[in-house]
Amino acid sequence: MTAMLEVRGLTRRFGGLVAVNDLTFEVNEGEMIGLIGPNGSGKTTTFSMLSGALRPSSGTIAFNGERIEGLKANKVCRKGLARTFQVVQPFPDITATENVMIGAFVNTGGGRQAEAKAREELERVGLTPKADTLAKELTLLQLKRLEIAKALATEPKLLLLDEVAAGLTSTEVDVMLKLVRQLNTEGITCIIVEHVMRFVMNLSHRCIVIDFGSQIAEGTPEEVLNNPAVHAAYLGEEASIA
Amino acid sequence: MNLKMPYIRIVVIGALICLLPLVLSTFYMHIAVLVLIWAFLACAWNIIGGYAGQHSLGNGLYMGIGAYTVAYLVNRFNLTPWVGLVVAIILSAAAAAFIGWIVFRYALKGAYFALVTIALTEAAVYVVSNIPALGGAGGMQMEYRGNSLAYMQFAGQNGYFYMGVVLVVFILLLTQWYKRKRFFYQLIAVRENEDAAEALGVDTVKAKIKANVMSGVLCAVGGVFYAQYFLYVGPRSVFGEVVSVQILIYAIVGGLGTTWGPVVGAVLLVPLSEITRGQLGNSFPGSQLLLYGLVMVLTMMFMPFGIMGLADRLRQRWQHRSATPLVDSQGGEAS
Amino acid sequence: MNLNFSGAVLSQAVASGIMLGGLFALMSIGLTLIWGVMKIINFAQGEFLMVALYLAYFLVARGHIDPYITIIITVPFMFFFGIGIFRATISPILKDPVMNQIMLTLGVSLILQNLALMLFSANVQSVNTRYSTWNIHLGSVVISGTQLIALVGSVLCTLGVWYFLKTTDSGRAIRASAQNPTAATLMGIDVPRTYLLAFGLGSATLGLAGSLMIPFYYTSPTVGVFLGLIMFIVVVLGGMGNLLGCFVGGLVIGLAETVGAAVFPGSLARVFTFSIFIIFLLFRPQGVLSKRQT
Repeated sequence: MTAMLEVRGLTRRFGGLVAVNDLTFEVNEGEMIGLIGPNGSGKTTTFSMLSGALRPSSGTIAFNGERIEGLKANKVCRKGLARTFQVVQPFPDITATENVMIGAFVNTGGGRQAEAKAREELERVGLTPKADTLAKELTLLQLKRLEIAKALATEPKLLLLDEVAAGLTSTEVDVMLKLVRQLNTEGITCIIVEHVMRFVMNLSHRCIVIDFGSQIAEGTPEEVLNNPAVHAAYLGEEASIA
Repeated sequence: MNLKMPYIRIVVIGALICLLPLVLSTFYMHIAVLVLIWAFLACAWNIIGGYAGQHSLGNGLYMGIGAYTVAYLVNRFNLTPWVGLVVAIILSAAAAAFIGWIVFRYALKGAYFALVTIALTEAAVYVVSNIPALGGAGGMQMEYRGNSLAYMQFAGQNGYFYMGVVLVVFILLLTQWYKRKRFFYQLIAVRENEDAAEALGVDTVKAKIKANVMSGVLCAVGGVFYAQYFLYVGPRSVFGEVVSVQILIYAIVGGLGTTWGPVVGAVLLVPLSEITRGQLGNSFPGSQLLLYGLVMVLTMMFMPFGIMGLADRLRQRWQHRSATPLVDSQGGEAS
Repeated sequence: MNLNFSGAVLSQAVASGIMLGGLFALMSIGLTLIWGVMKIINFAQGEFLMVALYLAYFLVARGHIDPYITIIITVPFMFFFGIGIFRATISPILKDPVMNQIMLTLGVSLILQNLALMLFSANVQSVNTRYSTWNIHLGSVVISGTQLIALVGSVLCTLGVWYFLKTTDSGRAIRASAQNPTAATLMGIDVPRTYLLAFGLGSATLGLAGSLMIPFYYTSPTVGVFLGLIMFIVVVLGGMGNLLGCFVGGLVIGLAETVGAAVFPGSLARVFTFSIFIIFLLFRPQGVLSKRQT
């Protein structure tokens, strides 16, 4: 059986800077992958290329056996690969439900069905009490949940979560952890980019570590934590690993 | 709330408006027809400007295409305006699709989009002024052929008035219907946050082109109506920056991206400006546009969401306050 | 179509185009400054120029002041005029979406235009000065002396604003605010005050333009509609906030207008100018000289 996502030689240059260099990895269905690395190592650039927001300089991305590199973001999304944004991107002047409806419209044309779907997803992320609140009036944790609900409404097979735990308090991280784990048990494959190590280490089945755009390690969270190359990359950030 | 309610409201208000000819004098009936023309055009602009958030400053282009098409076909080939209407719809759709395709493909937005649209409508003024077949700078008079629906011409204002009511009711029902549909949600998503919209499967370029075509075609229909009412078209009366700005002022003052906003704006401003012009026009030319300028500045400063937008916000706040405060149980915060 | 290509006509058109281009550059400096610094397009900029032209006109026609001496009145007047408009209207909504600010300046332009119509009537006004008949002959080409002065004024004004932005503290504050308002605030720059200064300066350059133009140009309530559009075109060509680009853009559009008028019949030349504008907006919205951002 082929992997759900196959990335081969993915590279992105900005002028002379190589942000992502020859990245190759696979993600199998049902997996929870942690994509980690120090600041500026190319994680978000990788996400942007996977989701179609950014065109790769070279390399291929195959999703369920179909090549998707270079497709526009909306096409990628409709193929079942959704993302959340590191900096939350709500539609500020409409309600939480309407925000999620935009995603739901990928699979339905009718307003009523989309609204039902949206309310369902808001329930799933625990945002039902805020369903009719304008997005601009939500707190950061609520907005992060809204990001996930929007992405879920498109019924993704693969979900890219970009720093959903960053900026949250410790209790809030626990809430988010529970939520993401549940999504995975419900059958959604996830790739997580995250700085909060407790979050990644608790969730991931497998971690891919990148530094300066290149992959430096891969393995279970324990293996990665004990890898000297990873330690070297994180030198000075060691405290946050433990 | 009953989902049919907004539709019923539109039809009932439309029916009640039809009683106006019983009470209004000729002068006020003329103003009423003007209100309907501009309300219709403003509703049409609202689709691209209000819902999709692309502030076109050049919708006079489409209005002009509509007005000139019908005037030319009626004058030159003696065709009924209904044929002209169909041709105008086709031409404006083609123009709006082509312009939208170029402009949105190159991701022009905000101020740049506004500038391109101004340039296009102003260029149209100069092109039309140089085509003798279209009457050049002087424009074209249309012949009055008698009181007949087949010629879309009526003796007195009442016929035009009922036609205007039908058009405005139609565009309001259309807007209201689309409001629950995927297309308008996608437009709002484009307006609010384009990157997020793309990430949620919205083809933002396609959505914007569709909105531009819809808005352009409806503006052309408004232009046909305008030409039939005045029986005259001139380069600056249907093309150009001033007309384009006039179209959007009503929508902005009434409330961008609301069903009723453009109508409310036209109902308030058109009579006010016509009466000002009637009273002061001779001694103070320009008083009408001066008034529009003032209203525009004050709207932007004190109620940028327009009258209906302000009403919506006040209602939301009131509902918010009356509802029991909800505590987010899982997150634990009490905001 | 009857295309007209004779050497004498064309060389005259080129000479006139350079003169006109200098003038266009001069009027557009203010817009590029305001646009570049605040990211606000002042749609009333053409009407600001109309105000300056009327002021210069009245000083010359009624006050019998030499047009080039009116500069000492028009420039400070326009500075404070710009500041006044900014304080009263734009400054309260600086945090609102850019489109709202654009709509507001559009409203201001309608007010100024129609106020002028009420006060001064729709008549086109111009003055005869002792400079009006001063022409310079270069072979078959005739150059108007007053237009040459305007061209020189345009060069000096561009250099002056550039020097101001480069060397003075206020100029550096303006440039810093343009690049990153947040960082500028953190560095202790009073950004709102800087905006005010930039807007005043952008308006003051129009005072100079008004004084230099009135000996050979005219004024009317709607003069700013066309000139305003020309300013946008020049600034888009040059790249917003780019002074050298503004000068080059002015020359390009000046040449397009005069050469276009020599080649195309009637007012179709203007369509040529608009086409250049639209093509630039589509393919190089960052201007002729600026590098494309990645």
